[in-house]
Amino acid sequence: MKRFLRYTMLGGALLAALPARAEITVGFVTSLSGPASSIGILYSNGIKAAHLYRDAVAGETIRLIQLDDGSDPSAATRNARKLVEENKVDILIGTSSAPSSLAMAAVAAELKVPMIAISPINVEASQSGDRWAICVPQTPALMMKAVTDRMAKNGTKKVGYIGFSDAWGDLVYNGAKAAEAGGHLAFTTDQRYTRTDSSVTGQILKVLATKPDGVLDGGSATQGALPLLALQERGYKGRLYGNPALVNADFIRVAGKSAEGIELPTGPVIVAEQLPEGHFAKAPSLAFRDAYQKANGTPSTDSFSAYAFDAWLIMTDASKRAMAAEAKPGTPGFRRALNEAIFSTKELPGTEAVYSYTPASSFGVDARGVVMVRLQGGTWIYAP
Amino acid sequence: MDLDIATLLMVDGITTGAVYVLLAIGMVLIFTVTRVIFVPFGDIAVYAALTLSALEAKHAPGTAALVAAVAAVATLMEVTSLLRHGKARAVPRALAFYLALPLAVSGTVWAASGTDWPMPVRIALAIVAVLPLAPLLDRIVFRPVADASVLLLMIIAVALHFALAGIGLLCFGAEGVRTQPLTEAALTFGDVLVSGQTALIVVAAASFSLLLFLFFNHTLTGKALHATAVNRLGARLVAIRPERAGTIAYLIGSLLAAISGVLIAPVTTIFYDSGFLLGLFAFVGAIIGGLTNYPGTALGALLVGLLGSYASFFSSSFKEVIVFAALVPVLLWRSIATTHSEEEIEE
Amino acid sequence: MSSSSLSTVRDAVAGGGGSTAAASRDSAGLSPAAYRLGVIAAVALLALAPLVVQSFTVTLLNYIGVYSLAALGLVLLTGIGGMVSFGQAAFVGVAAYATAWLTTRHAASPWLGLAFALVVTGLLALVLGALTLRLKGHFLSLGTLAWGLSISFLFGTVEGLGNFNGISQIPPVSLGPVLLAGTVPMFYLIWSVVALSLLLAANLLRSRMGRAMRVLRGGNILAESLGIDAFRIRLALFVIAALLAALSGWLEAHLSRYVSPTPYGAGPGIEYLMMAIIGGSGTLFGAVVGAAVIALLKNAVQDWFPVLFPGAPGQLQVVAFATLFILFLQRSRDGLVPALARFLPTVRRSVPPPAAPLARRAQPTRGEVLLSVDGVQRRFGGLVAVNGVSFDVRAGEIVALIGPNGAGKSTMFNLLTGALKVNRGRVIFAGEEISSLPQRAIARAGIARTFQHLKLRPHMTLLDNVLLGAHPRLEAGLVAGALTLRRDEEARARAEAMRLLERVGLGDRPFERAGNLPLGNQRVLEIARALAADPALLVLDEPAAGLRRQEKTALADLLRSLRAENLTVLLVEHDMEFVMGLCDRIVVMDFGSKIAEGRPEAIRNDARVQEAYLGGVV
Repeated sequence: MKRFLRYTMLGGALLAALPARAEITVGFVTSLSGPASSIGILYSNGIKAAHLYRDAVAGETIRLIQLDDGSDPSAATRNARKLVEENKVDILIGTSSAPSSLAMAAVAAELKVPMIAISPINVEASQSGDRWAICVPQTPALMMKAVTDRMAKNGTKKVGYIGFSDAWGDLVYNGAKAAEAGGHLAFTTDQRYTRTDSSVTGQILKVLATKPDGVLDGGSATQGALPLLALQERGYKGRLYGNPALVNADFIRVAGKSAEGIELPTGPVIVAEQLPEGHFAKAPSLAFRDAYQKANGTPSTDSFSAYAFDAWLIMTDASKRAMAAEAKPGTPGFRRALNEAIFSTKELPGTEAVYSYTPASSFGVDARGVVMVRLQGGTWIYAP
Repeated sequence: MDLDIATLLMVDGITTGAVYVLLAIGMVLIFTVTRVIFVPFGDIAVYAALTLSALEAKHAPGTAALVAAVAAVATLMEVTSLLRHGKARAVPRALAFYLALPLAVSGTVWAASGTDWPMPVRIALAIVAVLPLAPLLDRIVFRPVADASVLLLMIIAVALHFALAGIGLLCFGAEGVRTQPLTEAALTFGDVLVSGQTALIVVAAASFSLLLFLFFNHTLTGKALHATAVNRLGARLVAIRPERAGTIAYLIGSLLAAISGVLIAPVTTIFYDSGFLLGLFAFVGAIIGGLTNYPGTALGALLVGLLGSYASFFSSSFKEVIVFAALVPVLLWRSIATTHSEEEIEE
Repeated sequence: MSSSSLSTVRDAVAGGGGSTAAASRDSAGLSPAAYRLGVIAAVALLALAPLVVQSFTVTLLNYIGVYSLAALGLVLLTGIGGMVSFGQAAFVGVAAYATAWLTTRHAASPWLGLAFALVVTGLLALVLGALTLRLKGHFLSLGTLAWGLSISFLFGTVEGLGNFNGISQIPPVSLGPVLLAGTVPMFYLIWSVVALSLLLAANLLRSRMGRAMRVLRGGNILAESLGIDAFRIRLALFVIAALLAALSGWLEAHLSRYVSPTPYGAGPGIEYLMMAIIGGSGTLFGAVVGAAVIALLKNAVQDWFPVLFPGAPGQLQVVAFATLFILFLQRSRDGLVPALARFLPTVRRSVPPPAAPLARRAQPTRGEVLLSVDGVQRRFGGLVAVNGVSFDVRAGEIVALIGPNGAGKSTMFNLLTGALKVNRGRVIFAGEEISSLPQRAIARAGIARTFQHLKLRPHMTLLDNVLLGAHPRLEAGLVAGALTLRRDEEARARAEAMRLLERVGLGDRPFERAGNLPLGNQRVLEIARALAADPALLVLDEPAAGLRRQEKTALADLLRSLRAENLTVLLVEHDMEFVMGLCDRIVVMDFGSKIAEGRPEAIRNDARVQEAYLGGVV
């Protein structure tokens, strides 16, 4: 016990001495438990790979502190405050669900710490007009525009929608619904189910009653297979469209034949090997896969971990420029410089997209960051 | 809504309802015998489903290690308590029951994983693997506070659910699973197609309910359980130990939960935390039955299944709201219908 | 801060009931002045905290404050009122969404948002309470779980509330020109609200309505027999708990500046309950302690888990948290505050000083018929428990209703007091028919009763138990109670209760807990409580049961002296000897019918009475 105390005190003394450090501290929040953990654990794996891939910038090491938010936005808020106020992090990265990321962004703006959101959220400027958070993933609108363009190309005019009754279900539907303005297609119904539902028969019957040419699946991961299985059971033969959250090994396993031919938009990292030589994402993607395998001992098959990796790329790229501005990590000045550097990121190629941010917008991804893929025989095929 | 759709929804509702029936009966059994509203009941079902899926994938299921760990804790507690009360002679028996038996189960499951067994063997293994959990947890968590109020026991049960869900996440991962269907056959009634799996669920639920009914009315153990449920003191007077009755209730309850988990796994995606809502819906059914009456419980659980099915058609996003809101009038009716003996002083 | 409000804070700290475990040793307690100093020091320390501690500690304190408000509501509802609710988080959510909606969609001031949140939450609680509060025990809890879940699902599905993404960009609260944005200004706002709520709740609990709330756990019959409308008190308590949740939700919305559905579901609803239970659900301060323990425990698990178990998966944190909670409940069921209160010094309390007496009702003139039972019948299914019984009780008499076991005495007693309804016949009291009135109306009409199986509030002081009886004679409502507006009335009531305690011989220890008294004293305490109602008729149910000879004599003396003051007494008794020496007249029942009525000597010699009593034995 005495020895334990002595070590604790020693540790405390070391901690107290820390402000002299110049290392960059990154606060990372993700969901290791709760409903969002299926994505959150992937994010955690991705950040582990990223830290392994690059653990220093311009000679300064990067320290990573990770906290679990249990899929709860109020815990995400608390974690963000804790990271900033107690651990004095220079930057926040997080988290697995849109509501929690929005909650963190509110803290980032209040405490004036830059944040990189790895869920698709719409960051609004604060009342003073400045922005403290950027969003890495392709906007759902961008993603869904690729699908609706594909629908138009395929001649699909009447589309039924069935998705999650949560933030993600809303994002997918609203993103796709925007295409109605073009006049090429119309949504016939908006059906929702929860992640815990055992059956979607009722919803599927409603979808089929509207006699659609195509059905858009707004679920995610394994449970996204549920509508497809029900459609197959009811003998549906029309076209299937999906959303990026369906890119998941368990989805393929569970959906089996029912998902054959589904077309969906995703980031290029998913089909990295199939990309043509010289594609911007090819080199970073292969580097990411390599780092992921080393860090986690399993190959990467999803796009979520790649967002965390890209967030890291953006962060290190901006840190390099912020440190050139003579600001010391751990100070408010550095945070501001880092934020400015992030918002002036230009044409940075990542695994998912080419990132360019301006102070006017938190979105930095263009159409290059979306590829269409089709599921054939259990693998995703690049379908430009 | 035309007749076809109504029939389809009814089939769907009855299928889900049948699973709730098994769960609800198990919950009522445990409640009447031990006074514990066993909230983690759904988790036991989910563990069975996830174990089956792990066996299908030829992984060693986390359940095996979990059972071993829980058995060790329970044994430690039991042996300490026996020695402290000077009952050293009962120690070998306790060792056999709390340690050897669960370890034999988890060892078998451990050894069997990784081999490509035929489906019935896998299912039997998955069911057996989760059986020791609830009785052991009863020993660890509930027996030290057996005299507490129903409400305190319920709150402890809720905390236990959180612990089990967390362990489930660790053992089985965050991804949902679906197991292979037990049968690919399909039946047609007129225009309505009923999958073999659906028929199997309904048949299994019905036959296990019937078996349980026979067990209560025609076996000595069954009658003893019933006696304990009616009057704990009386049961003790005629030499039925409530602890033993509790263990048996947890065992039978777990069996029902495991069966429903295995039945539902091929038709729906099961997550490590699916147990809460699954248990809650079954529980709503049990409450409609008044928490003490088996036929009423079965009827209530079927009703919840049907209500959920039709509600999801009429307004998919309000399904849960509708099911839970429907509970309030039912509770009101029950509380008016049952003449309460006044004197529910809680101190 | 006035001295009276300070002493209420002391109650809030030591235990909402105004009675501490150590109340009996109050002569050795702290002087009120020393106590006041302690409270001022504690408040000052808290006020200075943001200047000295780390900013994340202030953040934690903010969350503790916000949570403790919702937990305080549950302490009142669960610990005081005995209603376990899983729906508190839903009320927090309704308020948070109400203010978020109004301030973002309509650019209203957050103060308007507060008013709106309170109104919406209060009305919702009123409707839900009216629907579900007639449920009993765990049915009630399950009902709260049901509507709690329904409401939490609604946050994500109702149009206009931002769906599952929630509402962001909620404006901060401003106080005049000062913007209360950021951690430290919010700290002062939150803890002012917490302190004020604790103070008001403590005041309320000490008042007339608060005492009525503390009766609820004793069952409906007790409350109604004291003239208290149990359902209305329950409803009031439920709405108050919801309003406290609303305060918490309003603060949380403007603290996080963001709302979304997840924090208001079943999980958080259970967490609030955990806070109330850990702190000690019977004590107001337990809410703060419970909120602090949960928040700090979570923080500690987050900090220490990776240190103690390096490499262990983060998912085990929730398991560790749940395990600690289960262990806690197994070891300490009453919560932390009652366990700790034993080690705290108590505060000396002074005996209530004399004050002007409370108004008394006009007593009937001696000899006129006060109670008239006319051909009363009561059936249970096929069994006729009371069959056409008639008798009169005149003002200033002591009448006994006797009979062997199963004669129908207790049924008769319940018919008179309204606990059971008459099937046929009439009961007339002071010229009014009361057979169809509810119990509490009968109590308010001037019939006070005691119970064979005593129904005292064991954790309340003797003084408070007697004050319960005076409920119908006092007027202070909820607001008056919380703001201590009727101090004069309260002082008079306390003086009266003290007089009654002295009268029954318990005046030497008014602050003892009722549960600590021996049985004989408890019986006379019930009589003192009945007398506090200033009844015209005192109805005693087997008052001599379980008493020793000496105690019986004292009881008889007390009843005689009451008769001398023109009080009428009807007692249902088993003990012939006790009755014979005391009563003016005796009514004898057997098998549901009256078999004799008359003076004690006549009854003693009545052949049918002898047969009824002895026949059963021989």
